[in-house]
Amino acid sequence: MLKKSTLMLLVLLLVASVFVPATFAEEPVKITVLNYFDLTSPGAERELNEVWYEFSIRNPHIIVEREDLFLEPFHQKTEAYAAADRLPDVIYMWPGGRSTSLHTLGLVKDLRPLLGDDAQYYQEAVLAPQAGGYLAELPQTMTSSHALYVNLSLLDSLGLSMPTTYEELVAMVPVLQANGLDTILMGAQDDWVIQSCLFSMIVGRLVGDDKLNEILAGEAKFTDPEFVGALEFYAQMYEDGVLHRKIMQTSYAEVNGLFATGRAPFLVDGDWKVSNFLTDQTTGEALIPVDKQDEFAMTIFPAVPGEINHASSSGVVGVGFGMSSKLEAGSAKEAAAWELIKWLQGPEVQKMRLETAGTIPSRVDVVSDQLEPLVIERIRYYEDILVTTEVLDNIFEGEVYTPINIGLQEIGLGFATPMEVAERTQEAFDDWFARQ
Amino acid sequence: MKRVVHWWTEERRAYLLLVLPAVAVYWAVMAFPTVFSFILSLTNYNGGPIFNNPNIQLVGFTHYVRMLNDPYFWISLKNNGLIMAVSVFGQIPLGFLFAYVIHRKLVKFGDFFQTIIYLPCVISTIIVGRLWQSFFSPYGPFTEFMQKLQPGWENELFFDPHLAILPVLFVILWMYTGTYMIIFLANLQKIDPALIEAARIDGATEWQVLVRIMLPALSGVIVTACILAISGSLKSFDLLYAMTGGNPARRTSVLALYMYDNAFRHSPKYPLANAISVFMVLLSFVLILMVRFTEAKFGGRE
Repeated sequence: MLKKSTLMLLVLLLVASVFVPATFAEEPVKITVLNYFDLTSPGAERELNEVWYEFSIRNPHIIVEREDLFLEPFHQKTEAYAAADRLPDVIYMWPGGRSTSLHTLGLVKDLRPLLGDDAQYYQEAVLAPQAGGYLAELPQTMTSSHALYVNLSLLDSLGLSMPTTYEELVAMVPVLQANGLDTILMGAQDDWVIQSCLFSMIVGRLVGDDKLNEILAGEAKFTDPEFVGALEFYAQMYEDGVLHRKIMQTSYAEVNGLFATGRAPFLVDGDWKVSNFLTDQTTGEALIPVDKQDEFAMTIFPAVPGEINHASSSGVVGVGFGMSSKLEAGSAKEAAAWELIKWLQGPEVQKMRLETAGTIPSRVDVVSDQLEPLVIERIRYYEDILVTTEVLDNIFEGEVYTPINIGLQEIGLGFATPMEVAERTQEAFDDWFARQ
Repeated sequence: MKRVVHWWTEERRAYLLLVLPAVAVYWAVMAFPTVFSFILSLTNYNGGPIFNNPNIQLVGFTHYVRMLNDPYFWISLKNNGLIMAVSVFGQIPLGFLFAYVIHRKLVKFGDFFQTIIYLPCVISTIIVGRLWQSFFSPYGPFTEFMQKLQPGWENELFFDPHLAILPVLFVILWMYTGTYMIIFLANLQKIDPALIEAARIDGATEWQVLVRIMLPALSGVIVTACILAISGSLKSFDLLYAMTGGNPARRTSVLALYMYDNAFRHSPKYPLANAISVFMVLLSFVLILMVRFTEAKFGGRE
């Protein structure tokens, strides 16, 4: 009898060991993700291991089907998904710009209700409403679309010092030309670069956000003297030799090496460009080695004649991840997607991004003692900015800023005048405005 | 007595069985997208669901008018025309010339030259585009080489709207000539060598052999090559995308890039992009019909 009861107990235990864990274990949930990822960037390996692999270890019940794309292929796929109304569950997004339609068409959810009390861990500015009037993506950073990178040792070797005004910058041009150097480098073969990284800053200095908002409301025009004046100042930069038409024949990637090897003392780009100069953890190599990084600085463009905003730069809250509005509220899928989004903007991931790319955290609880000098410089650079103004492609729709993007290249090449570009932009705006 | 016509004969069943799969595949991948694209080009569709979407309305030929009024459309069309000219009047004659020289053994090491000329065709277009972009860059080897020849020379190739497309045309010529060389070489080898030998014994010169025997024998191949060149020119995208992205200021854009810009860059304008694609399909039909007509009128007999 005893043997029988023991046997029964063993059988019961065996059955229980098979079924009980399955009963209490969480059901696996599959979510799809469209990720913006440069596999060639220095921090790529750490990103794969410490972000995506670590998430799957910590959340074995969430199966992430990830699609990694970069630059145009990413935007193309996003538009195709949006057009087909089959947006992935979690998607990398901008607070406006190229992601504007995702915001305005309501293709992604308002994340604020999901964020709840966790909002206390984020800087207040990054949680401001975005292009659709709500928090469509949880930003990982603040981004300044304009930064002036300076090769201090090159300036020193030529007996030059940091210019504080545009006139001082212009005065440097003959010295630099005599030494076979350019003044400012830009990788502006793609037409968004000048608008986003340079012209938006000029508009911020000479036109200001109030005027831009008046234009947006239809109460002012691109053809008004302020905006045309900004275009004229930009045109003047070519005449003064500060900019050279070569920038439009230089690709966005090519310019990194050119600046690192001292082809010009200045580079204009977004503050994100700094990540291209940092050490690649897999190879231990860097375009600007750690021991040379002190010879480089980040600041903003010198004072422009007639500026109404001093020491301003153009900026937006940074990119982040949004959630498809198709996910049912309260569903397991929504919970899994939110878990991933929270993780992606969590302290561990933001610390990793700070160390590998110098990305300024949007959270208030991220610190690190493993920062390269250029990352520290990027953090310090924000002290130079007294006013942050709008980036044009963040405030206007694509069909409005496209004539500006193309027009800025045309002005540089001498194919169009500032007034012609302003008129074309106004025409595009009127078309768009009439449909609203 | 009334005769009963049996249309459902075994012969017809066999015919349908053999033809239907091909027709279905053709309709699915060729005809349907073209017709659907045309329908979309007449609407105001701007993303979201296509079927049962109450916001989609027919707007007539508005997008075609908009396309024709856009200066960047004409720049793109002109560039496509230039690429086509280089393909038809550059790649094909050069390809034939190389094939002829190698086939007739007018140079030594024919196999070596054949490999060298064909090599660009096997490299990824994106790599070729990036490579030549770096080569023609103002900081690249081409600039340095020219500055060695002429100190102070500025690389302004892309700054003149009329010249900006020239480097691209050069790369297209370099990249695709090998394809036509291989096509011609294969077909030259099909010509009976006895025919050429007989002509030479009768006193024909090399030129007469070329003009009177070779070219007439290859007229069908030349037409095929022209059709390939024209269709290839119209769908030019990858090389331009990698090399210039259509810039500066859209001066090196082509119709496919112009369509891509409108469909996917900035705010998508799908109906306009579809109007452009319909225009491209019609243009290729017209051009291929012209080639067919020219061959029928002036072509030789194989």
